[in-house]
Amino acid sequence: MTDISDPGIRNRTTPDGDNAELTQGKKVRRYTADLSATGEPALWAFGGALAIGILLISSFLFMVFWNGITTFWPKPVAVVTLEDGTVLAGEPTRNERFRPGTAILNAMSEEQRAEVEANGGYATRTLYKTANFDLYGDDFRWIPDYTVTQTSYPPDFYTFERQEWGVFIGRVTGLVIDDQPMAYDPQVMRREQREARQRFNEIRRLERGPIGRINHRLEQERLAIRRAQLRHGADSAEYEAAVAEGNARIQELQARFGEIQSQVAAIRALDQRNRVQLEEIGGRSIEPPLSQIVRYYAANDLSLLDKAGIYFSRWGEFLSSEPREANTQGGVLPAIFGTVAMTMLMVVFVAPFGVITALYLREYAKQGRLVSIVRISVNNLAGVPSIVYGVFGLGFFAYTMGVTIDQLFYPERLPTPTFGTGGILWASLTLALLTVPVVIVASEEALAAVPRSMREGSLACGASKWQTIRYVVLPKALPGIMTGLILAMARGAGEVAPLMLVGVVKLAPALPVDGFWPFIHLERSFMHLGFHIFDVGFQSRNSEAGKPMVFVTTLLLLGLIVAMNSTAIIIRNRLKRKYASSHF
Amino acid sequence: MNVAASIPTRPEFEPPAYHVREGREGVALDIRNFNLWYGKAQALHGVSLGIQKGMVTAMIGPSGCGKSTLLRSLNRMNDLIDDLSIDGDINVGGFNIYGSGVDVIALRKRMGMVFQKPNPFAMSIYDNVIYPLRVDGVTKKSILDETCERALRSAALWDEVKDRLKESALGMSGGQQQRLCIARGIASDPEVLLMDEPCSALDPIATAKIEELIGALKGHYTIVIVTHNMQQAARVSDNTAFMYLGRLIEYGDTETIFTRPKKAQTQSYITGQFG
Repeated sequence: MTDISDPGIRNRTTPDGDNAELTQGKKVRRYTADLSATGEPALWAFGGALAIGILLISSFLFMVFWNGITTFWPKPVAVVTLEDGTVLAGEPTRNERFRPGTAILNAMSEEQRAEVEANGGYATRTLYKTANFDLYGDDFRWIPDYTVTQTSYPPDFYTFERQEWGVFIGRVTGLVIDDQPMAYDPQVMRREQREARQRFNEIRRLERGPIGRINHRLEQERLAIRRAQLRHGADSAEYEAAVAEGNARIQELQARFGEIQSQVAAIRALDQRNRVQLEEIGGRSIEPPLSQIVRYYAANDLSLLDKAGIYFSRWGEFLSSEPREANTQGGVLPAIFGTVAMTMLMVVFVAPFGVITALYLREYAKQGRLVSIVRISVNNLAGVPSIVYGVFGLGFFAYTMGVTIDQLFYPERLPTPTFGTGGILWASLTLALLTVPVVIVASEEALAAVPRSMREGSLACGASKWQTIRYVVLPKALPGIMTGLILAMARGAGEVAPLMLVGVVKLAPALPVDGFWPFIHLERSFMHLGFHIFDVGFQSRNSEAGKPMVFVTTLLLLGLIVAMNSTAIIIRNRLKRKYASSHF
Repeated sequence: MNVAASIPTRPEFEPPAYHVREGREGVALDIRNFNLWYGKAQALHGVSLGIQKGMVTAMIGPSGCGKSTLLRSLNRMNDLIDDLSIDGDINVGGFNIYGSGVDVIALRKRMGMVFQKPNPFAMSIYDNVIYPLRVDGVTKKSILDETCERALRSAALWDEVKDRLKESALGMSGGQQQRLCIARGIASDPEVLLMDEPCSALDPIATAKIEELIGALKGHYTIVIVTHNMQQAARVSDNTAFMYLGRLIEYGDTETIFTRPKKAQTQSYITGQFG
C-alpha cells in the first residue's frame, strides 16, 4: 500500500516499517520542493531589500546620533610645526585622503614623492579648526600631513568661546582687572569671568525687562496717537488732545528709558575695565572684556570630569539659550519653542477640521459620484508638493486674509504689517492644510471600521444620528483618528519648505509668547529647528563651522518629533483604555 | 429536548411589578399587506400579520425568506438602507408607522431591539443599560440607578454584575453581553421587544438562559423573535409565523403550526425536508 520509493511518503510517520528504518539510521533521500515553488528566491530578494533598507536607515540614524552626541565633547588643541617653519594651533577635526596635483608633487622632497607614489598617488591631510576668525578671516585649515614636522599638545593653550567672533585658541598672557594689568591667575580669572558674565546677564535682563516694557509702552502711545489721527482726522480736537496727552507720557517714558540706559552704560563701562589679554600662536594679541568670554578651558589639560562638565554645560546652553554667532554657536531654545508651538497649533487646527470633514463624508453625505470625487481629491491633496502649500499660504493667508485683518483691526500700524506677513498662525494653518488629507483619510477609515451593529444598537435604543455618532461611533473611532493626527504631526513637525514662505525666520526678535497683552502673539514670525538646520548648515558664513551644529540640531529635531509622537501615542492608548470602560 | 428544563431556574428571580400593564388583550402590531423592495428586488410580498399583545411570536423560515427584514421593518431599522421602498401599513397602537410625520426616534423608543450578535457599546455596564434613558435626556441619578437595577434584574443579570457596574461591558461573556443587550432593550420600558436571532451566536447554556428569560418577560412585553432554530421557536413562542420567499405562508399558535400545519410547505420545513 505504501510506496517506499516515493520520498514524499517516506518521511511520513507511519506506525511501522518506514519509521523503523529511519530510527535505525538508514539514509533516506530528503524531499525538497523546487525553489520557485516555495518562493525562496523572492523571499531572499524582498527580505534582502528590507534588510538593506533597515541597515541604511539605522546607520544614518546612528551617524546623526554619534555626531550629535560627540559634538560638544571638548577636543584637544594641537600645535603643529610645518616644514616651512609655520606654526599653527588648532583642534584636529577630521582626516582624509587626497590626490596631490603635479604642482604640489613637484614642490615635494624626494622621499615624500616616493611615499605618495607608494600610496598609489594619495597623500593624507588633516582639517584643523584654527578658529580666531577675527584675526585671519577663516576658521579651518587643511594641512597635508607630510608637511608636518612636529605636533605637540602644550598645556597652556586655551580654547575661548566668545560672545562674538566665535572661538579663540591661544595663550593667556595677562589680566586687566579694574584697568590695572596683572599677571594671569587662574583663580582670579575664573572669579572675574563669572562676575563679568553675571553683569552681562544683568544687562540682558535690563534690556529684556524694563527696557522692553518701556519700548512696548512707547509703541502703544505712538499707536494711540496714530489711531486718534485715523479716527478723528489730523485737525480735530480729539487728535490734538491725544497728541498732547501721548507726548507727555512719551516724554515721561523716555526719561525712564534714559535712566535705565545710563544704568546699562555704567555696567558696560565696568565691563570694559575688566579684560583678558590673549595671544594666539602667530603672535597677534587681543584684549576682549571678560564679559565676552562665555566659556574657556585649557584644552590639553583637562581631566575626564572637567571634560564632562564642559560637555554638559554646552548641552545646557544649547537647550536653554538663544543662538549667537549667526546661529553657529549658542542655543536653540527659540527654535525648540517655535517648532513645538507651531506643531501644537497645527494639531489644534487640523483635528476639528479633518474630523468634521471625515464625519460628513462618511456619516452624512450620500455615497455617490460626488463624494467619490471629493474623496479622490482629498487623497490627491496629500501628494501636492509642500512648497505649493507654502505659496498658497503666503498668497491666501498672509496677503489676503492677513492684509484684510490689518486694514480692519490694525490700521494704525500700517504700513508695517501685523498679520499681513508670515507668522506662526499662518504657518500652522498652512501646515494644517498640508496635513488635513492624512487626518481625513485616517478618520474616515476609523469611522468605517466601527461595526454596523453598534450603530444599529444605538439607533434601536432611540438615539438620534448625532447621539449615535457622539456616544458610540466617535469614542470607538477615536484611537484611529488619533493615529491620523499622529501621522499628521509627524509630517508637519518635519516640514520646512512651506514654512520658509509663511513665517519662519533665521533669527526671531521675540518669542510668540511674552508678558505683554494679549500674551500670545500669533502674528509673530518664529524659529524652527528644521529651518535652523538648513540655515546653519548651508547659509552661514562658514559651513564647516556650522556642521557640528547641523548634527546636534538634527538629533534634537528627531528627538523632539519622537517625543511629541510618543506623547500622542501614550494619550491615544490611554483613550483606548478609557473608552473601553467609559462613563459618559 | 428541552434544554431549559435541565437548568435550575433562578428562584430569586421575579420580574418586578413595574413592567406589568393592564389591558394586554388584542393586537400590538398590525401588519397589513406589507411589501418591501431592496432596489428592484422585492423582499416582502404582501405580508399581513397581527402580532398579539403580551405574547411571544416567533418567525421561522429558511435563510433569505424575509423574516429579519420584516422584523426590522417594525421599528424602521431598514431606513438605514439606501434605495429601499415599501408599500402597505404597519399599525402600532392605532397609527401607521410608515405614515407621514412619524417620529422614528419616538417609535424606536417604544420598541426595544436585540440583535443577532451581542453589541454592547464600548462603555461601562451601567452606561450600556441606561443608554436609552441618557439619549432621552434623563439625567437624574436616582432614576438612572433605579432603572439600571430593574432592567438588569429583569434580564437576570443583576446578581452577576452588581459589583462591577462601572467596568467595561466588553469584558463580559457572550451570553452575559446578550442579556445586557436585552436589559438595554427593556430599560426604557418599551411595549415591544424585537429579537433578531438572539441566540445564534451563543452556546447552548447561554441560549437556555436567554430562552428562560424570554419566558419570564413574556406577558410584560410583546416579544417578536426571529429564529432559524425550530426547536427554539417551539419552546419559547405562543404564536409562530412561517415565511418562505418573502411571503407569509402560515401563521397560527405554535402548537398547531408544529403539530398540525395546514400548508404542505410548512409541513416539509418543520420536518426538515428543506431549509
